[in-house]
Amino acid sequence: MRQREHTSTVRVLPWALVAPALLWTLLFFVLPFLAMGLLSLTPHEGSGITLSNYRQFFTNPSYYWAMINSLELTAMVTVISVLLAYPFAWILAEQVPVHWQRLALLFAVLPFWTSYVVRSYSWLLALSENGIINDALMGSGLFTHALQLANTRVATVIGFVHFFVMLLTLTIFANLKQLSPSYRKAAADLGAGPVNIFIHVILPLTLPGIMVGAFLTFVLTIGDYITPQILGGNNALVMSQLIMMQIGRRGDFPLASALALILMAVVTIAYIACARWLKIERT
Amino acid sequence: MRAPVKFLSVGYAAAIYTFIFLPVIVLVVFSLQSTAFPIPPFTGPSLRWYAAVLNDTRLTSALINSLIVASISSAIAVALGFLSAWGLARFVLVGSAAMRSLITLPLTVSYLIIGMGLVILFNMAGLPKSLLTAGIGHVVMNLPLCFAIIYSQMGDHQINIERAARDLGAKEWQVLLMVTMPVMWPAIFASLFLSMTFSWDEFVISFLLTRFDTTLPVEIWNLLRSGLNPKTNAVGSLVFVVSVTFAIILELILLRRRPS
Amino acid sequence: MSINACTSLKRRLAAFALTTVALVGVEALSPASATELNALIWCDHADPALLKPFEDANGVKVNVKEFEGTGAGLAIVEQSQPGDWDVMVIDSIDVPRGVEKGLFEPLPEDKLPFGDLFPEVTMDSSTKVDGKRYGITEKFGFNAVGFNNSKADPADMQSLNSLVDSKYKGRIAIYDYYLPIIGMAALAIGKKTAELTEGDLPAIKEVLLKLKANAKLVGEITASQTALATGEVDILVGGGEFVTAGLAKENPALDFSIPKEGAILWSQSLAMFSTSKNKDMALKFIQYVMSPEGQARLATSSCYWGMPANKMAALDDAQKITLHFDQQPDFLKRAQPYPAPNADLDKKMQDMWTEVLQAQ
Repeated sequence: MRQREHTSTVRVLPWALVAPALLWTLLFFVLPFLAMGLLSLTPHEGSGITLSNYRQFFTNPSYYWAMINSLELTAMVTVISVLLAYPFAWILAEQVPVHWQRLALLFAVLPFWTSYVVRSYSWLLALSENGIINDALMGSGLFTHALQLANTRVATVIGFVHFFVMLLTLTIFANLKQLSPSYRKAAADLGAGPVNIFIHVILPLTLPGIMVGAFLTFVLTIGDYITPQILGGNNALVMSQLIMMQIGRRGDFPLASALALILMAVVTIAYIACARWLKIERT
Repeated sequence: MRAPVKFLSVGYAAAIYTFIFLPVIVLVVFSLQSTAFPIPPFTGPSLRWYAAVLNDTRLTSALINSLIVASISSAIAVALGFLSAWGLARFVLVGSAAMRSLITLPLTVSYLIIGMGLVILFNMAGLPKSLLTAGIGHVVMNLPLCFAIIYSQMGDHQINIERAARDLGAKEWQVLLMVTMPVMWPAIFASLFLSMTFSWDEFVISFLLTRFDTTLPVEIWNLLRSGLNPKTNAVGSLVFVVSVTFAIILELILLRRRPS
Repeated sequence: MSINACTSLKRRLAAFALTTVALVGVEALSPASATELNALIWCDHADPALLKPFEDANGVKVNVKEFEGTGAGLAIVEQSQPGDWDVMVIDSIDVPRGVEKGLFEPLPEDKLPFGDLFPEVTMDSSTKVDGKRYGITEKFGFNAVGFNNSKADPADMQSLNSLVDSKYKGRIAIYDYYLPIIGMAALAIGKKTAELTEGDLPAIKEVLLKLKANAKLVGEITASQTALATGEVDILVGGGEFVTAGLAKENPALDFSIPKEGAILWSQSLAMFSTSKNKDMALKFIQYVMSPEGQARLATSSCYWGMPANKMAALDDAQKITLHFDQQPDFLKRAQPYPAPNADLDKKMQDMWTEVLQAQ
């Protein structure tokens, strides 16, 4: 009874609560998008409506190869990061004593509180021919020549994986901690060994954690400009670099807008594919 | 079965921790370089680059700018996120699902595109670039995150507490301020913390949307454009030390506040 | 209940307004000196050693924004409002582009030391348009071959052909600016940079692709300097004193050479904006930079070194040696300016550059 009275007399309130966030999003997110969309249909010099920007992307190999490079890079980074992060998250959740866990996590996150730009640059130095990685590899006798790591796609992948291993560890860890121990007990009671329990119970139940982390990895990697720019040596340009080139060097905003919208379309497809795991549900 | 698993675990964890700390170690070690190149060989510890950083007014003012932009934009993002999350969680509104999707939509868009869109918009509107425009971009970036975190924590169990408060005669804003906010404080804190972290270190949006007064990541980028310089290492290390100190203080506060 | 709704609404609006005011207030509180000069510059002008004496002497604050490449600079200007900028550093050869867009103000010739400049760099053909002077060359240098003389044979460095030789495969970095590198490719096939047409592009592209295949990376100043200094590469195509001179103190093995085919002359000019609100102060700034002390500081700026355009620059002997000051007249004879394509050819060149970057 109370509830119905309540909602009928405060109709303004909920809208007033939600309005600021909605307005902000509409004004500073949706509107720019519409502006970009409109701009992408105009030519760089002159006026009128044209599809030339989009046509350029689909017909010029150095442009659509940037998209292919982006997708390849992102796929590699996502897969490697998940493979490296899962065992780490598992170790932190299962092997580390409970009261040390938060500290262990904190330690894992700590290095990311240096500046992102400087961190990428440090990787460039660490991976260079005289850098400490090559020093270590040659010192240990594993290699006789220095490896060509810096200024390659490998360096870019390492730079990304470095960050996303941490991110995925966090999401998978959170998921693992949430699992009720009763699932495991039930499976054990039914006679399953630890390996089976992992494959058939734990892994599927941690899929949401993996998918959320993987999706974030995908979005953040494909849109990132700094890591490829600093570590990639301008070899195998990716979409973000291509877009920045149009903005920075040419001031060709129409083309940049078109490229940005194409990138968005790709990300949207990925989002739809992962949508099941990405719903924001209340506890 | 246990022992080898333990052994492998320790080994694997150690390897991952080494990997994670590698660039930071390189960073800090070469910030103490006494010659002008932050590359091997290491030429003895020297604090000259830290002195250079503290004397560089562009860097120090960029650092302050970063703090200002991060705190104000995060505060706004958390406020907007909290209010809209509460509104959508507690009340039944038409098009609720659509509104939730709209507010969280920017999460799927890369910062480069958010920044670009705002550059185009502000250009058309004749608004000059500044820390304000960068701050606006940061709110766009962080609002969905704050909303998502807070909304996901607004469980039904809190409704009862709020209802009880209303029954006892509390007005709506009192419920919000004195019941909901304290109960939601972990989520509010988490979103504030995350927003500040993202904003503090954010490059692309700040790069596109500032002119002279700029944030630390952009200033570091400018510094990098002028060539090899251990000053960048020194700045990175300083940021690191400040962040770690901040985290330690936070830990101590949290430990003290935690109910037994 | 509805009264509460109003109250909470008002409270929220007030809070919102307060934060906005605070944000705007923070902006307003940022020191806004009585006089400010807004300069769109290349990184060598950001050096406090250059700016501070001028700021102190004139009681003015110089705000700087750095950019690379004329395209980027013009893009920034396009995104700004008239009156946002007072002076700009721009490639001498690109001054006409700015004049075309109506951006620049004619400079008073009698108030600037044109007589003291190296004659080859005054570049009247670019800095003068319709008889009016719009830019004054302040600094110049060469895009040639920078190298580590303990790793690469200096004799080889006298010819551009060694750059595509397999002897140096993977030991080369290419400077990331399309105009001078395309210029160097033109020199390699015996074409003059001032006479390039669309028909020359395929031959140039071939040279560029061979060069890219031999190179490890394409990088701007920092990446190239890092690569050369860390030993990642031994040769920098498009490198010159602007890369090596600043590093020379720490690593004396770094030098540059002008190959027999010639080199590309880069020269940067200062221009004043026609919509500037501080034209007098802008002129004073330009005069300062062109003065002997200003020229010496600019030439040895922390971002990159270069030859001062003013022969009277107050450099000491060690600095002159590093810059090969006395050999300049000879260098200048063998150098050609940047290609200056029209908008259409420029776009084709940029597209070609993107293709080369993407090639393996």
